[in-house]
Amino acid sequence: MSEVKQTTEAVKEKPQMDPRRSGVMQRTQRIEAMMEVVRIIAGMAIAYLVALLILIAISDDPLFIVKQFILGPFSSPRRIGSIINLAVPFMLCGLSMCFMYAVNKFNLIGESIFMLAGCIVTWLGLAIGNSLPMAVMVPLMLIVGAIVGAILSFIPAIMDRKLNANVVVVSLMLNAVIAQLAIYILRYFMRDPGISFIGSYETPDSMQLPTLFGKMKVGSGIIIAVILVIVISILFYKTAFGWKMRLVGSNPRFATAVGLSTLGISFAAQLAGGALAGVAGATEIMNSYKRFQWTASTGHGFDGLLVAVLAKRNPILVPIGALFLAYVRIGADVVNTSGDIPNEFISVIQGIIILLVAAESFLSGFKNKLIFRSVQAEKAAAQKDTK
Amino acid sequence: MSIDIVAFIADAIKMATPLVFAALAALMTRHAGMFNMGVEGMILCSALGAVAGAHYLGSVWAGLLCGILTGVLTGFIIAFAHLTGKTDLYLTCIAFNLAATGGTVFVMYLLTGEKSTTSGAFRSYQIPNINIPIIKDIPILGRIISGQSLLTYVAVFCVWFVWFLLKRTRVGLRIRSVGENPKAAESVGISVTQIGYIAFLFCGLFAGLSGTFLSMSWVTFFMKNMVNGRGYIGLSAQNMANGSPVGSALVSLLFGATTSIATTMKSQSNFPTEFLEMVPYLATILAIIFTSIYKINKKRRLEQGIK
Repeated sequence: MSEVKQTTEAVKEKPQMDPRRSGVMQRTQRIEAMMEVVRIIAGMAIAYLVALLILIAISDDPLFIVKQFILGPFSSPRRIGSIINLAVPFMLCGLSMCFMYAVNKFNLIGESIFMLAGCIVTWLGLAIGNSLPMAVMVPLMLIVGAIVGAILSFIPAIMDRKLNANVVVVSLMLNAVIAQLAIYILRYFMRDPGISFIGSYETPDSMQLPTLFGKMKVGSGIIIAVILVIVISILFYKTAFGWKMRLVGSNPRFATAVGLSTLGISFAAQLAGGALAGVAGATEIMNSYKRFQWTASTGHGFDGLLVAVLAKRNPILVPIGALFLAYVRIGADVVNTSGDIPNEFISVIQGIIILLVAAESFLSGFKNKLIFRSVQAEKAAAQKDTK
Repeated sequence: MSIDIVAFIADAIKMATPLVFAALAALMTRHAGMFNMGVEGMILCSALGAVAGAHYLGSVWAGLLCGILTGVLTGFIIAFAHLTGKTDLYLTCIAFNLAATGGTVFVMYLLTGEKSTTSGAFRSYQIPNINIPIIKDIPILGRIISGQSLLTYVAVFCVWFVWFLLKRTRVGLRIRSVGENPKAAESVGISVTQIGYIAFLFCGLFAGLSGTFLSMSWVTFFMKNMVNGRGYIGLSAQNMANGSPVGSALVSLLFGATTSIATTMKSQSNFPTEFLEMVPYLATILAIIFTSIYKINKKRRLEQGIK
């Protein structure tokens, strides 16, 4: 029955096309979309299994460690809250990388934008003090973060556009420079000499976001992140700009042929991505820190890339990728404190996930078999009809 | 503030050695048509591999061999993912570098129980420095040319070797033809995948040498994130020299000199160290800007000439 329904629907859409052929096309497309999801889940599952195997191989008490890794993140309301808090910057950086990835520019400047935006926001907050109410202060900080991000991402974008310089290399070199700049500002302009580690003075109360849900201590930064996920999903899928951007990313030659300004659109997307990375840095400082205390690059840019890859550049799926990453990270932290296993192994797992999800040939044999079978079935049905 | 010019030049050559190897590694894959950013992570892994090999097998040469083998192995991983697994090369390399940064710390912790450096746990081995008999007695030149690490001389040889390989051998011709036009190469029966693997084999060899130099000659231990962007700098160096081995080596030497200036100034002035840390990267960015402008102008002039 459902088959008949499909074909009639296809006829409605494209009356000039042979209904049976369009049915095959539709089914093939559906198999492809389904396989995308299967591949991502399989990739995550394999990477998770590898993580478990590593844990089993190196720990003295494998059962305890594995249990800690899987269930530890949910063992107390506080830990569940920290998964959500950790997912906030991952979500925002993931959105940022969605923009870069959507136009196929691996502009990794988000890494240092995150750090410098946090630094500048802290500095500004210290300068303003408690004179402004929170309702003004928080939006102001977010805007400042976005401006810092847009300005910084302008540099690799313009070098890519005007000078044809490789955007990955330029952004990575700039990351090293900007991280040092942030450390310089921290050490010479706002360092609190009264504390044992290198950190700024405490930020004013008006820019420390309040926590929600009682014991879970979820920072209200999650609200900012969720709003942005919704806004950007609408931008991606309901506006002309979003459509153009996705077209430029998926088929640049076609985009040029229909008269779109490929360079301009990819430029705008990179600026938007940079602005989001800046918002991410500002939010993180207001959500989880009382002082600016990063003395090395935080790695959030690369985490954002992982989230964007997991979400297949689709902003709606970004929260899922971010929560998964945060869950694995908290699991690694739990194992690190309770079982003395270094949490660095998570970056290996992250690499494996990116590789598996990015590999076109991973499970492609299976996909082709499915498509082949569906076409065969269709053919058999066609023969029956003619008889 | 006095600077010993001769010592400075000798230091610049030393600093340039890992960059030359990194540039050669990137150059091999570039000629096969692949922009390999994974060099950074490959060097990092080899640096750890070399130190670990030397410690457990108890000899410098075993360390050198292990470093090279690690380089080749990591190259094979990237090649397998990209050529056989058909992943996007950029994404593969970013993922690989990410995994290498954490993975080396992880392995180091498993082997030594330390998270920042192996200097306490592993015995330190150093690739010997070579004093060339007659040259070492020449006043200024002797101090510059003689007394460098063995690997620095190997680097000079490798520059010639890569030139010879690419321009004078059958494999080199095939690598270049695959890079130039993979479809044309395939149509005359060259396997693009196979040539890709061969390019990655050489890439791994040079990345291994670069890593070994860092952990067994520059210093004698492995340190967390010790490559510090050298892979990317080498990559930009060969990009600027348009893939010429000798040109890449000269550009690397220039970058080595800027690093050397920064280190000298760090010890001799109280200029904020953060700005000195930026120098190698800023120099790379500026060099990219200038070479791109030069290339674009040249192209424009050529086009005008044709009209």
